Formats: sequence, structure tokens, C-alpha cells
Amino acid sequence: MKKLLLAVLLVAMTAGLAFASGSQEAADGGSDKVKLVFTSWRTEDIERMNRINDAFTKEYPNIEVDFQPVKDTEYDAQLQQSLAAGVGADIIFLRSYDSGYQIYQTGSLQELNSVIPGLSGFPSAAIAAWATDGKSYAVPSVGVVHGVYYRKSIFKKYGISVPETWDDFMAACETLKDGGETVFAQGTKDNWMLYEVMYSGLGANFYGGEEARQALIAKDARMTDANFVEAFERMEDLQPYFPERFEGIDYVTMQQIFGTGNAAMFMGGSWEIGIFEDLGGLEDVGYFAPPVAKKGDTLQYCFHVDAGIGMNKNSKYPEEAKTYMKWVASPAYAQLMMDELPGFFSYTPGSYTLSNDLAKQMQSYVADSVPTVRTVWEKLSAQAPSGNQLLGEAVQKMYADELTPAQAAKYVDDGLSWYY
Amino acid sequence: MLEARRKHAKFLFLFIFPAFIVYTVFMLLPILNSMKYSLYTGEGLIPNEFVGLDNYIRLFTEERYYVKFWNAFQNNIQFFIIVTVVQNVLGFFMAVLISRTFKGSGFIRKLSFLPTTLSVLVVGYIFKLILNPYYGVFDKFIEMIGLEQLIIPWLGDPRSAIYVVAIAVSWQFFGESVLFYTSGIDGISDSIIEAAQIDGANIWQEIYHIILPSVLPIVGIVTILIFIGDFTQFDIIFAMTGTRGDPNYSTDLFGSLFYRTAFSSPERGGWGTGMGATVATMMFIIVTIGVGVFLTFFTKKKEELEK
Repeated sequence: MKKLLLAVLLVAMTAGLAFASGSQEAADGGSDKVKLVFTSWRTEDIERMNRINDAFTKEYPNIEVDFQPVKDTEYDAQLQQSLAAGVGADIIFLRSYDSGYQIYQTGSLQELNSVIPGLSGFPSAAIAAWATDGKSYAVPSVGVVHGVYYRKSIFKKYGISVPETWDDFMAACETLKDGGETVFAQGTKDNWMLYEVMYSGLGANFYGGEEARQALIAKDARMTDANFVEAFERMEDLQPYFPERFEGIDYVTMQQIFGTGNAAMFMGGSWEIGIFEDLGGLEDVGYFAPPVAKKGDTLQYCFHVDAGIGMNKNSKYPEEAKTYMKWVASPAYAQLMMDELPGFFSYTPGSYTLSNDLAKQMQSYVADSVPTVRTVWEKLSAQAPSGNQLLGEAVQKMYADELTPAQAAKYVDDGLSWYY
Repeated sequence: MLEARRKHAKFLFLFIFPAFIVYTVFMLLPILNSMKYSLYTGEGLIPNEFVGLDNYIRLFTEERYYVKFWNAFQNNIQFFIIVTVVQNVLGFFMAVLISRTFKGSGFIRKLSFLPTTLSVLVVGYIFKLILNPYYGVFDKFIEMIGLEQLIIPWLGDPRSAIYVVAIAVSWQFFGESVLFYTSGIDGISDSIIEAAQIDGANIWQEIYHIILPSVLPIVGIVTILIFIGDFTQFDIIFAMTGTRGDPNYSTDLFGSLFYRTAFSSPERGGWGTGMGATVATMMFIIVTIGVGVFLTFFTKKKEELEK
């Protein structure tokens, strides 16, 4: 017994010594350098973000930024838990509207109006995605657009020019299908794309874009209204051009199908430029905005407020974090980010040059269009079942031939009964 | 005598104490804590507004909640039945086969246990790759043997997805039931089997009258383990069909339902921590009742056989 006790004591003491020396070392090594942890849901951006952050450290040599993204599907849970446990990152990527607001509600985000006076110069629509009662809790950082990627070589082979109207678009699909091509790389196994990119992006021209979305939020319109149903109908038009057994094709597979040149088109978001670049290069990849109903119509362009950057109120290094936040809101950061992450557009006021051709093309449509965001992202997704979930499910069920477009619209409307 | 017993008790205490502490801190307290949260509501991770049984009432009376809950319950039962049949029935016959000594039986024994050593996530991703409709080898194989009209989007069709997932899990843990059953069969005294064989019993009679009764307690253990595993299964769903149990919740089990409702943001299917804890507590109750029922059933059966 005594021997046992002695052994336990010995082990405890050695462990204690080891820890003591460990912390001593840490203190010596990092005496004047502060390390800020930056978290996000974009695990694919680690290298690119590191390069951006290196530029910051060059300017502020005593602050290092450690970019630690978490897998997209686990991000929200991890973020909430770590913030609640007091070990959350210092700098935080926030989703727009309800999701970001949920985090703000936990009281762990720094109010930014006083920290970054320049915020007032940002576009108000972008500010609104991360503000409540005039208090901003994130710097609007990244906007993304939704449209259609295409393979230049395949279009050329059939003499197809970039479609402007829906009829052109359908005709192009038909030609490609007749030629035996895989028209779209789209699959329906994961339903978020069906809503976020397709219904919000391509559907906006048919349901009426921002005006209709505002009416929906104001409860002046319902999903069962004719314009929203029409958008469902147009989405249904696309189903015959999906690949065989599209129900089993998930998001990653679709990117691979298009990225490796095996499909003529891919309805996607601007954030995918980098992915296609890595999969096989961009020389053959083109892009066009969602086709309008008839020639001369104004494009309703889904330019979605995607990510804001917030700051942990309980950060161990509040001053350094504020310095970083100010930098993130500066044109220098905006330019760096758009160079490193083509397809992500900054809201920071200033004039920029886009280095990527596809990104330039995406931006070129902005001038003559009315911007809008994803259909039921704001307010309509604050509770269960959320508009986001419902729309994804409705379109998925429609593509599985379980619902007609009118029934799909009703499915969303029924689910949103808590809102009305 | 008394002194010796006291010493013995002290000794026992020494053994149980660490396990008891670990169990209490890491199992019992979190369970009780989560039960506590099921009585609260509020924003954020730690709900702070006491609402009594309100969450439970909402779970069973509001359509947006109960539809998903009963759907997961139904899926779970279906999932459990498939896994039980595959693992128990096939596992049993496999064990009967390899407990007979023949050339290579040892190798098969080892082989059958191999998948169990893999991570559930790995198994999930491998199956997903194999079944991928675009480049998966499974469809290519079926095409090769000329049955292409049978190909469906396995994981994208609500009719087949739950089977595929159940089969993946069964495949992985098949070796475990084989292991349990072989150890049971190995435990039967050779003389009994020899006697039966001398009496002229054929293989079916041998299985029915000798092997089955002796391994019945093991059937109970295996079934209960499968039951607990399936009603708390999460990883395989996460790997193969996502936290929504795609397509359209047809593979949503209690595990994924709980993860989604408790930890996702509302826009991604979250119901808030309070409701999540309510789902967890209901899972706990259902599993406890289920285990109780199985235990009683198998104990009774055993007693009947022993009479």
C-alpha cells in the first residue's frame, strides 16, 4: 500500500514538474508576440488565408494570426460550444442574418461601430446582414454571386452562344442533350445547392428578385403566389438535363464532374472558382449570369452577403484583435482577399482590380442588375422549420417527382406557418 | 472471518472507486445535466429559462417537431430490424460454419473481424465512394454482369438509402457478432455434440437442439448491443447521408436528429439546446425501455429452455 502511494506521488510530482517547465518555456518563447485565432467554415482556404494574414503580420510584427477553420457542417455547433466554454477564437467568420444573429444573441460578440468608424461607409444592405438596432457585430467581408459555369470547348463544338434568355438557355440544353453531352453536372443528393444557388440564383428572375423577397418578409406575399410558383416551374424545366441517377450525386461529385470537363454546365456560386482551378484549370471555364425571362428584362442578380468577420468580446487580446478588425475593414485587405480568393467579392468601399477573369465576368453583370440575396435567408429562417430547410427540401422533392411546382411552393408556405 | 471480509470490501472499493468516479463525471452527470436542460429554453448553448415540461409537450404536439421525431423513430426501428437480421442471423450461421475446423477456418475468423477495426466514418466514406452513381465501382460491377436495369441511385433514393446505410453498418460490425457466437459455440462441451452426432442428429437438429439453446444468452447480448448501438447511431449517417438524413430525412435516425436539433443553427435545422436535450432524454428513455424489454424477453426464454 505504502509502495503504491509512493509511486502515485512520484508520478504526480514528475508530471507537475513537466508541466511547470512546459509553461515556463511557452512564456519565454512568446513573450512579445500575440497569437490571434481566426476561425471560419472554409477549410479549403487555409493556405490562401495564411498568405493574407502574413501580409498583416508584416505590418504588425507583434501580432500573428492563426487561421483555424472547422468543417462546414460542424462549424456552427463548434463555434457555439467554444464561445460558451470561453475558449472561442478571437476572430470569427459569421454567416449572415439569422445564423450570425444567433451568435450575437449569446453575448459573445464585440459591438463594432465604435471600433471601426469606417463601417458607416459600407453598403447598407451588407451592413444590415450583421446588425441589429443600429449595432454592427461583424464587418461585411464576403459576398458571392450565383450563376452558371460552362465549358467553352463544349459550347463551341455545338456553336452555342452564351444564353441571355430562358428560351436560349433551354434551347442550348436541348442541343447539348441531343449531342449526347451531360448537360448539367447537377445532383440532388444534398439539397442546399438546389435552393441557395438554383432557386435563389436562377429563380430570382422569375419570382421578381429583391422586391418579391421584401414582400415575402413583410408578409405581403406568400410562397404560393404565382411568381414564386413560376420560379419552381422554371427549376423543374431543368430536371431532364441532369445526369443519370442525379438523385445520388452529392455536392463534391458534381464539382468533380464539371471540374474535370465531363459536363457542359454547372449552376454554382462564385466561391467555386478556386475549386475548378484546382480540378483542372480555368482556361476552358466560362460563366454567365442567370438567364432572364425575356430579352430586355432587368437581371435580378443574387449577390449574397455570405460572410462577415466578427470579434470575440472575451478575447484575451482585445486591443490586438481590434487592430486586426480595423485591418480587415480596410481596402488593403479587400484587395488582398479578392486576389487570393477569386469569386469572393468585398463590400469595403474603394476601387479594386480583379485579377481573375471569371470573377471579372461575374462582377460585370452587377452594373445593369438589381441585387438581391437568397430568397428566405433573412427573418424567414429564424425558427424551426427554417425557410432555408423548407426550400431545399421542396426543390429536392420536386426533382424526385414527389411534388409538383405548386405543391412544392405550398410545402414551403405550410412550413413557414410560424412566420405568418 | 469478519476482518477478512472487511479487508475484502476495502479492496473491492479500491477497484470500483476510480471507475465509479470516471463513470459519474463523464456519464452520469452529463446525462442528468442534459435532462435538466430539457426543462429549459432560451437562446445560445446554455438555455436559462425554466419551462417545466413545456419542451416535451411541444415535441409531441407541434407538427414541426413530432413529424421529425416519429420519422426518426420509424427509421430507427427499420434500421434496427435490418441490422439485427443481417448481424444476428448471418453472424450465427457464419459462426456455426467457422467453429467447425476445416482448412482456412482460422483465416475466415480473422477476416470476418477485420472491418470492425475500421472507423465508422471510414466505412461510411468508403461505401459512399463505392456507391457513387458517377464513378462508383458498384454500379460498374452490376453493369458488367448485365443487370444495369436494376441500378438505382442507392443513396439518393429514399426507398433504398436506409437499407444501404444499415448494410454498411452490419458489414462493419458483422465480425463482432461472429466473435460472440463462435465463443459461445466453442464453449459447448465437445462430448454433448459428439453424443448428439452418435445419436444421429443432422446439422439442423444439432443447431436447433444444442447450439441455439446454449448460445441464446448471447443472442440476447448481441441483440441488446445492436439495439443500443442503432438507437444512438450517428457517425454512419453523418458520413453517408449528412446530418439531415438525406434524401429528405429518409435516413434520419435519433442520433442525427439529436445532433441536428441540438447543435445546428435554426436555419440548418436546429431547434435550440433545450429541445435538443428533450430529444436526447426521449432517446435515453426509449433505449432504457427497449433494453428492459429485451432483457426480460431473453431471460424468460432462457428460463423456458432450461426447464
